[in-house]
Amino acid sequence: MVGLAMTEIVVEVKSLVKQYGRLMAVDDISFDLHDGEVFAFLGPNGAGKTTTVEILECIRSLTGGSAKVFGYDVTKREDVKEIKKRIGVLPQEFSALDKLSVKENIDLIGGMYQKKLDTREVIKLLDLEDKTKERFENLSGGLKQRVGVAAALVNDPQLVFLDEPTTGLDPKARREVWSVIHNLKRLGKTVFLTTHYMEEAQILADRIAIINKGKIATIGSPQDLISRHGGRKTLVVRKGSKELAKTLQDKYGDTVLDHGGDVVVKVDDVKEMWQLLATLTDMKMNKDIEIQTPTIEDVFLKVVGARITEEGELK
Amino acid sequence: MIRPLVIFLAVTKNWIRSRSGLFFSIMFPVLLLLVFGAIFGGAGAGSASTLFVQNLDKNSDGTTTQLSSAFVEALNSTKTFAIKDVPVDVDAKVWARDRLGPLGGNIRIVTISEGFERDLINGTLKVKVGISYNLLDTTYQYLVLYGNLNETQKMVYQQGLVQLQQYNETLPDAKTSLILAFDAADQSAAVIKSIVINVANAFNYGIIGATNVIEFKEESVVGSSYGAVDYYVPGIIAAFIMTNGIIALTSITSEFKRRGIIKRLSITPLTKFDWIIGNILSQTLLSLMLTAIIIVVGWIAFRVQAIPDALTIILIFLGSVMFSGLGMVLGGLVKDVEAASALGNAIAFPMMFLSGTYFPMEFMPSYLQSVARVLPLTYFSEGLRYALIYKYTEGVLTNMAVVSALAVAFIILGSVVTRWKEK
Repeated sequence: MVGLAMTEIVVEVKSLVKQYGRLMAVDDISFDLHDGEVFAFLGPNGAGKTTTVEILECIRSLTGGSAKVFGYDVTKREDVKEIKKRIGVLPQEFSALDKLSVKENIDLIGGMYQKKLDTREVIKLLDLEDKTKERFENLSGGLKQRVGVAAALVNDPQLVFLDEPTTGLDPKARREVWSVIHNLKRLGKTVFLTTHYMEEAQILADRIAIINKGKIATIGSPQDLISRHGGRKTLVVRKGSKELAKTLQDKYGDTVLDHGGDVVVKVDDVKEMWQLLATLTDMKMNKDIEIQTPTIEDVFLKVVGARITEEGELK
Repeated sequence: MIRPLVIFLAVTKNWIRSRSGLFFSIMFPVLLLLVFGAIFGGAGAGSASTLFVQNLDKNSDGTTTQLSSAFVEALNSTKTFAIKDVPVDVDAKVWARDRLGPLGGNIRIVTISEGFERDLINGTLKVKVGISYNLLDTTYQYLVLYGNLNETQKMVYQQGLVQLQQYNETLPDAKTSLILAFDAADQSAAVIKSIVINVANAFNYGIIGATNVIEFKEESVVGSSYGAVDYYVPGIIAAFIMTNGIIALTSITSEFKRRGIIKRLSITPLTKFDWIIGNILSQTLLSLMLTAIIIVVGWIAFRVQAIPDALTIILIFLGSVMFSGLGMVLGGLVKDVEAASALGNAIAFPMMFLSGTYFPMEFMPSYLQSVARVLPLTYFSEGLRYALIYKYTEGVLTNMAVVSALAVAFIILGSVVTRWKEK
């Protein structure tokens, strides 16, 4: 990334280890977060995502290595006070006081800080104005998450942790939360997101760390990861023929005629893809074509060797 | 100091808006007071217990002896009993059963043996002195508690006690001239026994000739101005401040913990102490509300005059701190919501019944009384009773000292076991 070296480092993790008995929940990981970026931890349940995030939030101790937030050490009592003032958190499975209204719940969290934003401002930011007086227990899952994000922003933090913000939400609510996260980025917040949804990480994150069994398997921008691990690009010619498949096979290799009658060609890079398109143009091809580029899911499959189910388990 | 107040406001609002919380913390104790008060005759009149008396002590002409009649009259004057005479020539148990009918309740029979008057006059001193000793002892305690006894009088009483005790030991065994018979299942047996014995004591003493003491004793037996409901008002207040601390607070905190609310708050600059103080303040407010409501209901329904003074309010504050501290300990130890509420119940209910909250501890066997002496509620309810009803400041302060010490201990323990950081 151009200019990365010039941006401020907000979170700095070096050789972090968290051990429970013989289980290595976090196994020697290192990474940085830069000012203003959306950083995603992508991995299955039990990969060590929440453990890492909670160590950074100063509510979980570490076994080894170091973790600094805004240059403050998470293991030092005096530093922890400074960190807590400057971070906002949407915890996993966020919940609030059922009988209190949206505003009262945000006020409750706000009341913990000396410096805070006006609650109305936060409510407006999260588009919760017409729910201000609604009790928390009566809100839908998506609205509850928005209240959680509002509470996370009430102290005007520079760094916001969102731990599995869309888990358990329906697709519509999920998209609402995504737009909230986009807004956070627009506001210049640094966001640390954890998720097991491939699409979420790919759409939202500037950089992704794929984490599995306490280790970071790979780290980089989505494009970077795809070009490094995504594999080859694919071109499909709908309702092709044996002859076409043979011609393309001779010229580009790795071509098959699948049982739906489509000709599927795999090429290494963009340059080869353009050559292939030129060949097809020369042949005055008029059939439907489709170009498929690899996604983060392909990257994950390649790097971890498995997929993640909707529930967050490896399969 | 602002953060505990924010927590206080939030948890209090959350609680007040919860209907089940309101019911169990406020409505339930009110109902209990009304039910107990109605059952145990607080509402003015109160029905007297039926007591069958078979007087076998007759003169040669068949009339009852003077002293045995006087004894029955003395029993009657306590206004505790509806006395029914049993003829001499019947089996008292069968006769009483017939009178009461199959569903008529418990049978209580006092049989005055033949020779009652003779024994008294001829001096079966063991009976007299033995009973007198008990009387003097209770009288002494009573006077120390409520009377205006000066130091010299106290000394005289104490000397008298010692002398009587020594005298008592030198005497041969005497024969029983009164027989009390109860149904095994009669829950009032202990109370009635103590009343009959007290009357006998007073009577005995009268024969010896210590008139002062008789007068005094008769007065206390005939009925001080305190009724059963006077006992329940402070008892129910104490018991429900206890359950609110142990059961309600325990389940609220473990529910907050399970749902991650405590974790969410721990990420902010809120400290563990701020959190605990906020919750205790909320419990104190709840306790004061409960006290006010119970006192008002007690006054409206039963004319119980329980007027809280500054000392009462301090004691209620300390009691709330003690039991919410204990609740914090339990809530901190158990993560599971069901387990926390089960543990709270398992501790609260036995304590409620063993601490002399609903009936005097003296009715319990001595080993249970020893158990009661280690229960925090014993001291709190006793202190509250002295403070609200008997206005006995020294008694309040003694109990308050115990409550304060336990409050400090539970708060310290509670803040140790409350986890503010994950492992």
